[in-house]
This record gives sequence, structure tokens and C-alpha cells, in this order.
Amino acid sequence: MSTFSGLNTATTALWAQQRGLDVTGQNIANVNTAGYSRQRAELQSVGGNAVPAIYAKSNQVGQGVDADKVIRIRDTFLEGRAQLESAETARMTAKENVLAQIEQAFREPGETGISAKLTAVFTAWGDVANKPTEDGGRTAVLQKTATLVAELHTTSSNLDKQWDQTRDSLDVLATGVNAKAQSIADLNTAIKRATQSGLPANELADKRDVLVMDLAVSIGATVTPGNDGQVNVVVAGAQIVSGGSTVRIKVEGTRVPGEAAVGNPAFVTDPGGTRLAVGGTAGGALTALTDTIPGYQAQLDAVAVGLATEVNAAHTAGYDKNGAAGEPVFRDGTGPGPVDLTKVTAANITLRITDPAKLAAASTPPIPPVAGPPAVAAKPSADGGNAAVFAAMAKSGNGVATVYRQLIVNLGVEASVATSNLQTQTVVAAQVDASRESVSGVSIDEEMTNMLQFQHAYSAAARMITAIDETLDVLINRTGRVGL
Amino acid sequence: MRITQRSLAVTSLQGLNRNMDAIAKLQAQLTSGKTINKPSDDPTGTNAAMQTRQELAGALQYSRNITDGIGLLDAADSALQNMVKQVQNVRALTVKGLNDGALSLASREAIATEISGIRGSLLGLANTAVQGRPIFGGVTSGPTAYDATTGAYTGFGGGGGAPVVPITRQVSDADAIRVDITGPEAFGDPTAGDLFALVGVIATDVVADPAALVGHLERLDIALNRMLTAAADIGTRTNRIETAQQVNKDLQLSLTSRSASIENVDLAKTIMNLQMQQTGYEAALGVTAKALQPTLLDFLR
Repeated sequence: MSTFSGLNTATTALWAQQRGLDVTGQNIANVNTAGYSRQRAELQSVGGNAVPAIYAKSNQVGQGVDADKVIRIRDTFLEGRAQLESAETARMTAKENVLAQIEQAFREPGETGISAKLTAVFTAWGDVANKPTEDGGRTAVLQKTATLVAELHTTSSNLDKQWDQTRDSLDVLATGVNAKAQSIADLNTAIKRATQSGLPANELADKRDVLVMDLAVSIGATVTPGNDGQVNVVVAGAQIVSGGSTVRIKVEGTRVPGEAAVGNPAFVTDPGGTRLAVGGTAGGALTALTDTIPGYQAQLDAVAVGLATEVNAAHTAGYDKNGAAGEPVFRDGTGPGPVDLTKVTAANITLRITDPAKLAAASTPPIPPVAGPPAVAAKPSADGGNAAVFAAMAKSGNGVATVYRQLIVNLGVEASVATSNLQTQTVVAAQVDASRESVSGVSIDEEMTNMLQFQHAYSAAARMITAIDETLDVLINRTGRVGL
Repeated sequence: MRITQRSLAVTSLQGLNRNMDAIAKLQAQLTSGKTINKPSDDPTGTNAAMQTRQELAGALQYSRNITDGIGLLDAADSALQNMVKQVQNVRALTVKGLNDGALSLASREAIATEISGIRGSLLGLANTAVQGRPIFGGVTSGPTAYDATTGAYTGFGGGGGAPVVPITRQVSDADAIRVDITGPEAFGDPTAGDLFALVGVIATDVVADPAALVGHLERLDIALNRMLTAAADIGTRTNRIETAQQVNKDLQLSLTSRSASIENVDLAKTIMNLQMQQTGYEAALGVTAKALQPTLLDFLR
């Protein structure tokens, strides 16, 4: 046994405790850093010589402590769950936002929405029924109807605008995803090099994991572990990052709200063009583009078609102020030709009649002229029977008002379900986050305790050196001086 | 579970956010005065609110219809009452011309002139118009029901076998009340000789053919009877529409209160909830401030 091995053992202890203090310092420095996983110096005792030599054998005492490795403490399973739950939360948030915006577009229940304007039209007809010969009431009907048409146009175009904005935001999102995927690939490469040369890569891995979480939120990405500490990023079965290389993604498909359908637009790989069933914010926005917004637009169109069909049919059954048969009130936006009700949408429905006298308030045909003698001129009826039919439309059980109300109730139910789902999901995601944080977060109390431990151990090792020093002093300076 | 300062902070923040969210919702309800600000706040309530608004608009429309109808019925009633009085005058004059065989020609002519004058006034009353529309003219778009000089019916429907087109007012979802009476219904069919033709003939025959007055008198009684029946008819309908008005007022009240109970904020309840939320929020703030402060650092030398 070497005379100085004790000194060496104590030195490794000094070094290891210092290392422990360094790591504690790093942990405390990053107590508030997002995505930082706490680190720990892995202390390991160094054993004695285990292989006996021919003329010597080990003295069975260890050779001190080794603190070469610094590991980061995290739970891969929790990380994976956190990615899934964050993606789901993001998807639901996107959906809830879209529905909230649609609700704003309709502004119901209230005095400014389509419902109130529809009622106003029918009420105006009620006044014409009371005074069919007066132009004031007839003009009011025309103006209220024009307001209703304008409101239909506005609501429809609000939905279109929302669609356009969402579509544009998807392009931005795809760009961001590609940039982040590239960063992950770069970090993968750096981590691989560091791992292969035995250098610590904890901070790089933390940085990469933050980016992976971002991708999970954006498009519902998940990861699979690769070689040398690298990870592969997978979106719906397609690897967009594998080691140091990436596959780009882009949004493909229509930019016109009217052409949107399930699967159009969609996320695809670029190059390759493989369609990706994305999740996260992108998934939520994509559902809004291909299903939610077109769905409500179609329901609104159905309201417009219902309005045009009902009103035109009732109007052509009546007679106007001059006794002529009523003309269609609404036409589609395609031109002055014959009215094609199947082409009517909320965006193109147009008021055809501009002359108040042409409103068919009467339900009785005029008295035909008699050639005479005595000659009698044609006499239009001034009854308000047909106007009363319009007034009654406000109440009809399957009429346009009911169809519209159904739309609003559907919207309300869908939005309120989305909100409560999101609330539940937020709680779940928060719990997963808390578990994750409880594994890899920095606790100041713990670090302080560790600091004390390392401090004391350092002092003890230093004291050990002093003790050996004193022993050696006795050996070197006092030995052989008996009697001097 | 290992609890760190950060997880404590995150959990506290989430709790505080939830509290703030609840307070914001209550605040929105209190400041807008409505419990339903968007359909998702309460889909069922939204449906009921929209339906109630629509029904209320309908009830207000019915109320306008009723007021309008009562105006028309009252005008018809007073015109008919006046006309009945005048026709009774004609009857008295006819009886005078019939009974008194000793009347001089001059007296007869005086009677004839008076009856002619009454005929003119009858025609004037029959042309009574409300807001430009003759009330006895059916659904005519013209300004008169009878020609002021010839007494010919110029209205729409009822005369000469043509069907009557009734003018009705919708007074409730189920009930529509007729608010007019056409000239032929009140004064007789013009093709078979109506009231005005009869009075005209009487005026002529008082001088020209006093013997024919007996027959005329019988026909005048029939005409008078017809007018009284018409007046009674109008009276009954006035009663009906006035009942409908009362019902409508009650309906409006109940719809308004229903709408309020669906949409409007229950102030006492909401303010109490807000107070409770605020207390909870303050407690959460206090606890957070206390829990986040101390670490082991405070106790290390």
C-alpha cells in the first residue's frame, strides 16, 4: 500500500464534492428556466485493485470517489404523455376559439342579429296587411328586407374572413414547424457528437425537448428515441425529423372558402406529398377549415334558400297594388335571368323588387274589366290577405325562422361542449405537467440541503488531508529523533 | 409527490386564473345585465330567449292589428247607427206620404225633396272612409263605396253575385276577426235594388205614384232590419276583438316577464356569487403569498 494513497483518496473526495457544488449551482441558476431538467452529479466509489498481481495484492481499501457523470433527471414516459396531452389541449383550444368567433359572427341572442331582422321583416308585412294601400308600410317592408339581406351578406362574409385568416395562419404555422424541425435536427447532430466524445449534452437535450414540446403543441408531434441520445420526431406516422435530417411539411389545397371539403386543404410532406393527419393547433384549425366553418356557412346558406323559397312562393301567389301577379322577391346573385333557387346562398341573395307598389299584399285577383255597356275598368283588390300570410311566416313551425333558430342552438351546444371539454382537458394536462415538474423541476430546499451536504463533505475531506498531513509530519520529522 | 417551488407557483397561478375567470364571467353578466351573452352560455336558454322574443314581436303586431281593427269596427258602427236613424226618418216620411191622402202636391214635393236629401246624406255616410279607405267598400282600392250621385256600388266584392272578400285582422296565433262589412251586406244587393235605390224610388213615387208606397214601405222595413242585423253583427265582433285585446295585453305581460326571467340577471344571486368568488380569490391570493415566500434559505446562516 502506498504511503500517500490516503491523500489521493481525500483529493478525489474534495474534487467530487466540488463537482457536486457546481451542479447544485447550475440547478439553482436554472430554477426558473423553462424546460430545464434538474441535474445530479453521479458519485461512485472507486474500488481497490481487484486483480491480484504475482508479488502483491490489494489492501482491500477503496481508492476514493468518482464524479465523472452528470445526469439529468426526467421521466421519459411522463414527457411522452405531456406531449400527447399538450397536443390535445392545443387542438381543443383551437376548436373552441373558432366556435367562439363563429358565435361572434352571428351575434345571437340580441337585437342586432339575423333573428331580430327576420322578425322585423315579417312585422313590417303585418303592418302592410293592416294598410295595404299605403306606400309607407310597403317601403318599410322593402327596407327591412334589404337590411336582412345585408345582414345575411355580412354574416356570410364574416365566416369567410374567419376562414381566410385561419388558412393564412396555417401557412405561418407550417413555416414555424419546419424551422423548429431543422433546429431539432441540428441539436440532434450536436448531441450525437457530444455523446460520442463523452461530453455532457444535458443542456442541449433540454433545449431540444422544449422544441419537441413546441412541435407537439403545433402539430401533435411525438418522439421515438434514436441512437446516441438523438430523437426522431413523428407526426401521424411520418418521421419529420430523423437524427440529423428533416422532411419539410406544407399546407396544400384550396384558398377559397367555398371549395373547402374534408381533406382539402391538408398538411402534406414536402417533397413526397404524403397526407398527414396532424393534431395540436394545426389539427384544430384544419377541422375548422374543412368542417366547422363550411358547416355553419352551409347552414346559413340553407337559411337564405329557405327564405328565398318561402317568400318567393308566397309572393308569386299574391297580387300587387296594381292588380298584377306578384313577382319573385329574391334572386340569386347570378344576374337578372330567371330565379334559380338552388343557386341562392347567404352571400349572393339579392332583393329583386325595388318598387313598393310591386309588393303583392293582396290575395284576391283583380276584377277583370268589362267591355260593357256599362264599361267597367279593371279593379285591383286592396285586401291584405297575402301580406298576412307573410306576417304568419314568423310563427310557422318549420319556417325559415325556426331553421335559423335551430342553427343557433346547434352552434350554442357545440361551442358549450367544446368549452367544457377544453376545461376537462386543461385539468388533465395540468396534472401531467405537475407530475413532470415534480420529477424534473428544481427544488430550492433540496438544493440547499445538497449544498450543506457537499459543504460538510468537503470540510471533512479537507480535515482528512490535515490528519494525514499531521501523521506524515510525525513520520517524517519525528522518526529517528529519539533522544536527540 | 415531490413538490418544487416552480410546481407550487404553476399550480397557484392556475388556481388564481380560474378564480379570475369566474369573476370575469360574473362581472360580464352584471355589466351587461344578461345571463346569456352568447349561445354557448346556455343553448337551451338561447332557444327559449329567441322564441320568446319572436313571440313578443308577434304579440306586439297583434296588438297593433287589434287597435287598427277596433278603429274600423267603431267607424262602421257609428256610421250604421246614424244611417239607421236617417232611414227611420225616411220611413216616417213615407208613412206620412202614404196615410195623408189629402196632401197637396206641394207638400208631396216637399216630402220628396226631403227624402232625396236624406238619400244624399245616406250615401255620404255609406262612403265613410278611415284613412282613405271606404269602410263599406270591401277591399276596393278606390276612394268610395257608392257613387255619390247614381248610388251605384263601386266597392269590391259582395255585389252582383261576386263573393265577399272579408277584411280580417289577426288578433292571436289562432284567431282572425273580420273587421269590415260590405255595402251589399249592410244595405242589400245593388243588382236586386238596395237601400239607396229604394229610397230614390220612394222619393219619386211620393209624387208620381203614392199607391206604390205600401210595397215600398214593406221593403224599407226589410232594409232597416238588415241594417240593424249588420249593426248587431258589428257590435258582436267589437266585443270579440276587445276581449282579444285584453288577452293580448296579458300575453304581452307574461312574455315580457318570461323573457326577463330567461335572459336577465338575477341581481341578488349574481352579486352574492360575485362576493363569494371575491372572497375565494382573496383567500387564494393570501395563501399564495404565504406559500411561495419561505425557502430553506431563510433559515440558513
